[in-house]
Amino acid sequence: MLDVRRISKTFNPGTINEVRSLREVALSIEDGSFVTVIGTNGSGKSTLLNAVAGTFFVDSGTIRLGDRDVTRWPEHRRASLIGRVFQNPFSGTAPSMSIAENLALAARRGRSRGFGPALGAGWMHELHDRVRVLNMGLEHRLANAIGTLSGGERQALTLLMATWLRPEVLLLDEHTAALDPKSGDKVIRVSEEIIARDKLTALMVTHSMSQAATLGDRLIMMHRGRIIYDVRGAEKRRLRPADLLARFEELRRGEQLDETAADMLKRAYI
Amino acid sequence: MTLVIGALTIGLILSVLALGVYISFRIFEFPDITAEGSITLGAAVAAVLLVSGTNPFVATAAAFCAGMAAGSVTGVLHTKFKINGLLSGILVMTALYSVNLHVMGKSNVPLLTATTFGNYAEGAARALGITGSVRLLGWEVSERDVSVLAAVFAAIVIMAAALDWFFRTHLGTAMRATGDNPQMIRALGVDVGAMMIFGLAVSNGLIAVSGALLAQYQGFADVQMGIGMLVWGLASVIIGEALVGVRSLGLSIVGTIMGSVLFRLLVAMALRWGLDPNDLKLITAAFVFGALVLPALLGKLRSRKPSVMHA
Repeated sequence: MLDVRRISKTFNPGTINEVRSLREVALSIEDGSFVTVIGTNGSGKSTLLNAVAGTFFVDSGTIRLGDRDVTRWPEHRRASLIGRVFQNPFSGTAPSMSIAENLALAARRGRSRGFGPALGAGWMHELHDRVRVLNMGLEHRLANAIGTLSGGERQALTLLMATWLRPEVLLLDEHTAALDPKSGDKVIRVSEEIIARDKLTALMVTHSMSQAATLGDRLIMMHRGRIIYDVRGAEKRRLRPADLLARFEELRRGEQLDETAADMLKRAYI
Repeated sequence: MTLVIGALTIGLILSVLALGVYISFRIFEFPDITAEGSITLGAAVAAVLLVSGTNPFVATAAAFCAGMAAGSVTGVLHTKFKINGLLSGILVMTALYSVNLHVMGKSNVPLLTATTFGNYAEGAARALGITGSVRLLGWEVSERDVSVLAAVFAAIVIMAAALDWFFRTHLGTAMRATGDNPQMIRALGVDVGAMMIFGLAVSNGLIAVSGALLAQYQGFADVQMGIGMLVWGLASVIIGEALVGVRSLGLSIVGTIMGSVLFRLLVAMALRWGLDPNDLKLITAAFVFGALVLPALLGKLRSRKPSVMHA
């Protein structure tokens, strides 16, 4: 399980570019829960994922994964517990290396890497069977360089790599945002299948209202570095994209009100 | 013929340098100028040990270790202290100049009386019954030249095979991925900084071995011998890629070796035809400049042509 306790992160503190990306965010996700995260641009949703992954250290608060406090673990050490798929299809794979080699790297995520051959004979069999699950015909192209694959194929492979060894938590950061709608749907279907099959704990950032509403068993909405909405269970199942849109509209109005109110005060007192 | 055999031998010896440069420059995309210090370091360590009567194989292995240490320092400066890559290499290269002088105790150590790998090669040739001079393709060549060439060739084959094997292990695959996509390999649990330090250590270890072999072949180690060696290695890597392409790892390794040998042969020919040796480094640099710039330039010209026709 993932337990985030009151974490805060401010980028460029004390400068004109200061951004308070996370403000005392607290979030506890039970094992096997699939949580979707939505929010406006700059709301801190990707920052939350990166804080969990260890891309940077948080300024305050703690992050626990399973029964371990990983708050001060560097990114590569946390990788033993975390599977990740990035927004950019180029980020998750090594382009000049073959499909088989990439998967061999993933099969030792967080483990020691010694002088055994990366592509052993027995391994190629296992590889073939597990790549076939993607249903993309990639099992016949295992020796091809990743650089020759489409974005959708790369994201599907990255997903397979992230879940090759069962992660304590799977982090999906808008992993279909850079794909065309058809490949995006395909990758979402594969994600759902793998998460359901392996009963994974997953945190998925998306900007698609329909994905956020239909996928997973819990939804959180972020705004200005805070979680402002958290639904699960029956309420989550009833949720429709239109409800989320209405929430966003509410936020927007609230902000406009803030600005006009500030203007009024300025005019009155300065 | 002696000239050709000499060029082949030096080309093969310097191909070990080229393989080291391949690791830093192609795998990590890190132009590591430590090479110019570590090749001399390898020569210096081996020469001093040989003069004191150490077995040539032990001396060469010691040179490898010394080179690894030098490469690690560059790696630590770059990854732990966040110093610009080129500057880290320059700092270590400069420091190595003093280190090399201290190792040798003077600026030049002759190996005229020391036992080198050449003596072993000659001994092996004699054991095989080859004595005096050998007729090779109708040319009279000394048995020493041929046996040294054969020994160097065998050594390169073993090193190339070892490197190819290493790059196919779990560790070697992770090293290649570190250069290819650091973000990805970090997410798979590899400490990118540590991997880079290790890679630069291996790279400079090989370069030092090249220096150790070169010192034994030419019969001396000199504190100046490293100058221009990085560019030399780059030229070999680039020629190798032109020869065999970049399709696979094994081909790249073979290509780099072929590139080094071919480059040395071209240089020997140019010198024979009257090229002023003083111009050698200028021409090498110009060649690498051309090889780096031409592909992009040609691409630009090709893409510009249609628009010119429309205008």
